[in-house]
Amino acid sequence: MMRILDPTIRAAGIPVTAQRAPRPAHLTGVTVGLLANGKSNGMVLLDRIADLLRERRGIGEVVRLSKTNASVPLTEEQAEPLIKQCAVVVTAIGD
Amino acid sequence: MTLQHDGIDLEDFWQAIEVCYEQSWTDGLPVVPPTEPLVARMLAAGPWAENDVLLFEPARNVSVTAYKAAVNAVMAGCRPEYFPVVGAALQAVGDPAFELHGPATSTGGAALMVIVNGPVRRRLGIHGGANLLGPGFRANATIGRALRLVLLNCLGCQPGVLDKSTQGWPGKYSLCFAEDEESSPWEPLSVARGFKPGQSTVTVFAAESGHNVLSHGTASPEPLLALFADAMAGLGSLSPGRSVIVLAPEHADHLKRARWNRARTQAWLYEHAWRSLADLKRTGKTEPAFFTNPQLLQWLYRHADGGVPSITPDVDTAERVAAQDESVRVHRGLGPEDILLCVGGGQAGGHSSFFPSWSRGRSVPFVTKEVPS
Repeated sequence: MMRILDPTIRAAGIPVTAQRAPRPAHLTGVTVGLLANGKSNGMVLLDRIADLLRERRGIGEVVRLSKTNASVPLTEEQAEPLIKQCAVVVTAIGD
Repeated sequence: MTLQHDGIDLEDFWQAIEVCYEQSWTDGLPVVPPTEPLVARMLAAGPWAENDVLLFEPARNVSVTAYKAAVNAVMAGCRPEYFPVVGAALQAVGDPAFELHGPATSTGGAALMVIVNGPVRRRLGIHGGANLLGPGFRANATIGRALRLVLLNCLGCQPGVLDKSTQGWPGKYSLCFAEDEESSPWEPLSVARGFKPGQSTVTVFAAESGHNVLSHGTASPEPLLALFADAMAGLGSLSPGRSVIVLAPEHADHLKRARWNRARTQAWLYEHAWRSLADLKRTGKTEPAFFTNPQLLQWLYRHADGGVPSITPDVDTAERVAAQDESVRVHRGLGPEDILLCVGGGQAGGHSSFFPSWSRGRSVPFVTKEVPS
């Protein structure tokens, strides 16, 4: 009999430190954040999505934010406009 | 030491190898089943406690402990005494400046190159001689492999899942070698990187596949280096990123005899590894989207004399670059210091290699860490 040890971190569980934000009941008049991940065309895609959300769901203001580096997560400070102003944030990668 | 950790109980060794495949714990080659005694020996050979974090990856919010690294190092086939090198290499790729998430996941399919300097090379048999980039050397093969297994098993970099490499390349199995310091005309790479002679180090780089630079026909620095510059200026991989050159001892000796130092060699290569803006335009390498990135802009937008004008991305930038003199030279990298020179290979043969950085952008820097003794 032998035991082999698990090399993964999946089994150990990735710590979840954030709570899921409450889902809004509707999007009418809601401020929507657009977060492009730092690749060249993410915002092109997000702007089109915002147009469609405006047309179909009547969203309100849009807050646009582009990461400067696709490999590095946003700091809390950088994310502040999204956290403070938006009920919903859409993020995209576009290369 | 007894470890109390999750695992799978099995009857025999061969079954264990198959179970590792079934669990998707391998890189495609068989692994050494990581039993508790083997992992305990691996861990004991390094200076770290099992819960010490060797690598934190912020995009995934995952910490790789010395324990998990040891399990993967056993699986890779490492001897316990290699573990300090594996740990130092993980610390190097985990340095925030290295921005591991990009090279670990991008379509570019980078390998994690590990260049080893100092006395640890001899002590562990990390090879820097003939066929140093090829098969046949346990330390080279398994230290680099341990890094890849950590990416696969701890950071979710399974092919097609988080590793989105369009093609990848064989260096992704393992790409670890020693500098042949004894054949170098210059100070060891580690000393050039700011460490003391006699310190053992690892230097890491996110590398695309290497390009052979073949020359048996000249011993003069300029004609010889022109071949390297030509490979570096290939449009397929031309970028503002860094370069690694592994000089064959024979080529290094030509530079030594001509008394070319490291800085002069780097400067000459940078000066001659360029394409015209016209070449970049006709091959689609000046996408308008590039002009929103300050570093790509700095790379493309130059005065005709090579000076860098002050420019920040704005709505007119694409037009201004388009209107620029098309004979402007666009170099590989942003300066001579972007070219890392090291020496390795057999004593016979004029075969060196050039490794471009991962990414069409600036990519990630070289990072050097000391190997703990």
